[in-house]
Amino acid sequence: MKGVKKWVKSRKGQQTVIIIAFLVVPLTLLILFTYFPFAEMIKFSFYKMKYATPPAKRQFVGLDNYIKVFQRDDCFRALKLCGFYITGAMVQLVIALYLATVLSFKTRGGNIFKGVMFFPFLISGIAIGYIFKFFYTRDFVFDTVLQWCRFQLDQLPYWLRDQKVNNWALAASSVWRYFGQNMVLFIGAIMSVDSEMYEAAELDGANKIQQFFHIILPSIKTIVTLNIILSITGSLSAFDPPFVITRGGNGTGTYFVIMSDIAHTDQKVGLACAMAIVLFLIIFVATIIQKAVLKYLFRNSNADDETYAMKKKRLKGQKRRFITIKTAAAEGGQYR
Amino acid sequence: MKLKKLIAISMASVLTIAMIGCGNSNQGTEGAEAAAETEAPAAEEAAETEQTAEAAQAPTEGELKYTDITLGEDYTDLTATIKVLNHRTDMGSSDYPGKNWEAYIADFNQMYPNITVDLEVLSNYADDGLLRLQDADWGDVMEIPAVDKADLNEYYLPLGTLEDITTQANMCQEWSYEGIAYGVPTTAAAQGIVYNKKVFEAAGVQTLPKTPDEFITALKAIKEKTDAIPLYTNYAAEWTMGAWDAYIWGSATGNAAYKNHDILHTSNPFADPGDGTHAYNVYKILFDAVEQGLIEEDYSTTDWEGCKGMINNGEIGCMVLGSWSVTQMQSAGDHPDDIGYMPFPITVDGKQYATAGPDFNWGVNINSTPENQAAGMVFIKWMTEQSGFSKNEGGLPIAASDTELPSVYDEFADVTFVSNAVPVEGEFDLLNNLNSESELMLDQEGNKKNMEIIEHAANADMSFDEIMDDWNARWTAAQEESNVEITN
Repeated sequence: MKGVKKWVKSRKGQQTVIIIAFLVVPLTLLILFTYFPFAEMIKFSFYKMKYATPPAKRQFVGLDNYIKVFQRDDCFRALKLCGFYITGAMVQLVIALYLATVLSFKTRGGNIFKGVMFFPFLISGIAIGYIFKFFYTRDFVFDTVLQWCRFQLDQLPYWLRDQKVNNWALAASSVWRYFGQNMVLFIGAIMSVDSEMYEAAELDGANKIQQFFHIILPSIKTIVTLNIILSITGSLSAFDPPFVITRGGNGTGTYFVIMSDIAHTDQKVGLACAMAIVLFLIIFVATIIQKAVLKYLFRNSNADDETYAMKKKRLKGQKRRFITIKTAAAEGGQYR
Repeated sequence: MKLKKLIAISMASVLTIAMIGCGNSNQGTEGAEAAAETEAPAAEEAAETEQTAEAAQAPTEGELKYTDITLGEDYTDLTATIKVLNHRTDMGSSDYPGKNWEAYIADFNQMYPNITVDLEVLSNYADDGLLRLQDADWGDVMEIPAVDKADLNEYYLPLGTLEDITTQANMCQEWSYEGIAYGVPTTAAAQGIVYNKKVFEAAGVQTLPKTPDEFITALKAIKEKTDAIPLYTNYAAEWTMGAWDAYIWGSATGNAAYKNHDILHTSNPFADPGDGTHAYNVYKILFDAVEQGLIEEDYSTTDWEGCKGMINNGEIGCMVLGSWSVTQMQSAGDHPDDIGYMPFPITVDGKQYATAGPDFNWGVNINSTPENQAAGMVFIKWMTEQSGFSKNEGGLPIAASDTELPSVYDEFADVTFVSNAVPVEGEFDLLNNLNSESELMLDQEGNKKNMEIIEHAANADMSFDEIMDDWNARWTAAQEESNVEITN
């Protein structure tokens, strides 16, 4: 007992107490609001139940719900729609990367552009849904703009009705919303690239495109990987645009929208939970595959990385020498 | 280095503690599940006997009963604060053109000054109401959301036997279970079609259509002779599409037992009966109207708020919506007198019928204090008998003493109102279960399937018979899953 008291009072003991005290709060919140509900969801997925079914009347059905997820044709047909959103996400990353590169260098009004392009990310997804609903309405905003460009109204498709274009229209709204945020992340990463690298590259005769591919892209590959993974995960679980703009009608019902319908309208809560877990596993696997693929794609830049580290070391050495000379000169100047 | 180790150790210890905690609870539930599984049949039996016992003893003498309350005499000195949940967000605002909640509560307090009513309006009531119900402490009076009938006694106070309450209020059977009433309707509506009289006149439609064919002909005439949209679908608002389901019961069959009995035991209820009646012909009107271009140009971007002004101004011929919509359409513009309400164009054996059914029903929380329950019941009774709510909202009368039809139903003089009968013993949740199992959700926000009718008609990728065959297959599968006996 005494030993414990002494240990608590000791520096080491104090550290432990403080660490535990700090950890308990976030861990309790995490377990209570993330892991516990998740565990409950896994439990629900083995039951046949509605929302209002009292616990005693819930019927245990084993793996039936999971089997149904794979038997139903609407669940996996909905996953195909992710293709539209993944393509959208790729376009979005390319646009963001391009604009980030341009805006990282001195551009007139750069901050205004950054602000304007980041702005959509600050609006709630539901509001964006309504904006685009009116944007795509027949003879409203989009059609009017296209008519200024000499398109005839009858040549234009019904953006949300025509099944050839409606998913692209929805994916585009998602691109509009997120490219600004990706861009800001990229700008942040590009800012951290040592500007002397560009000077060195310019001295070696590299043009801007070569600089982008050999200096910027390898230096920010972590953030690019992260953005790709987040975008693809987000595409697999696309929800806001189809839910608000088309209510999942007309072949735009993504996996999430269908899941929401099954849970809330059809009241098949168990089945919806099973769908959620299947999607969770799909995202899990997709992330691992992406990591592997991106590692493979960036394998050369890993080699570059070593030279980059060496280069940096070399440059640092130069810099230090340069600084000593400079300070010596300054000091000399002072005495003069 | 040491600090890192310490962090690692303490993290690990906290996590293990958490894991042990979780593990235990999981084991507990698993054990319970296993027990529940083995004892399932026994438990079910027990539950059944319990329920029947409860049902038998529910409203005994001396207990709170809806029928025993005399407004203005009983409970006038009762002091209580009751919390009331309601879906009418429009009535929560002072901009509401009719009588708003504040005015109703002020009137109520003239008779019962000591009962304070704390009214909350929820915007997405069907979902949010159910969610609120998960907490026993949600309030005292609410509109009953889509709970299973068998679970009613877990959430709501019995108001009395259905037999007793029917002497004082109409259509309480909707939320009754095994002869006990749990809810009183806020208002009630008969199902018809809201239309613009001027547009129909301009198109040369002299008498209102009485059959699907006549109706489609009338729509064509509107398209040819006027600039109005013949039938506005309100596809994009989604919930408005669910309205179509309300016409397949009494309106299309003239049979009061169709919804809660006949359709449950019918094989292929969506097949064509060949005489222009039943569900097949209700949905066929929608399909044909879309296929023949008698709806708005782009259904995917319809605007619910906008449509009210459009029909008022004669830009829309008609919309398939319950009678509750009439007052809203009338107040949305300068031509309230142009708005009319007609019976659904289906004639069964030479006679037209209209399903009449209650809107949301008031229910009292079974977990409230006795004082609040009494105050809640007084409030409900006052809303039904004294407030004039149903009439103000253009609904059919709820109080049994009130027999006057509102002017909305002028065209319904020759129409027989059909109110859906109570399900037979043991089948209270069968429609819910078949609906959920088949995912058709007839009359329970089954908006999706009706939207798909429009999509298939517009894209011409599925014929109407193929859609109905699919529904029949889903219904049959659900009937098999629930072991329903097929009698016709």
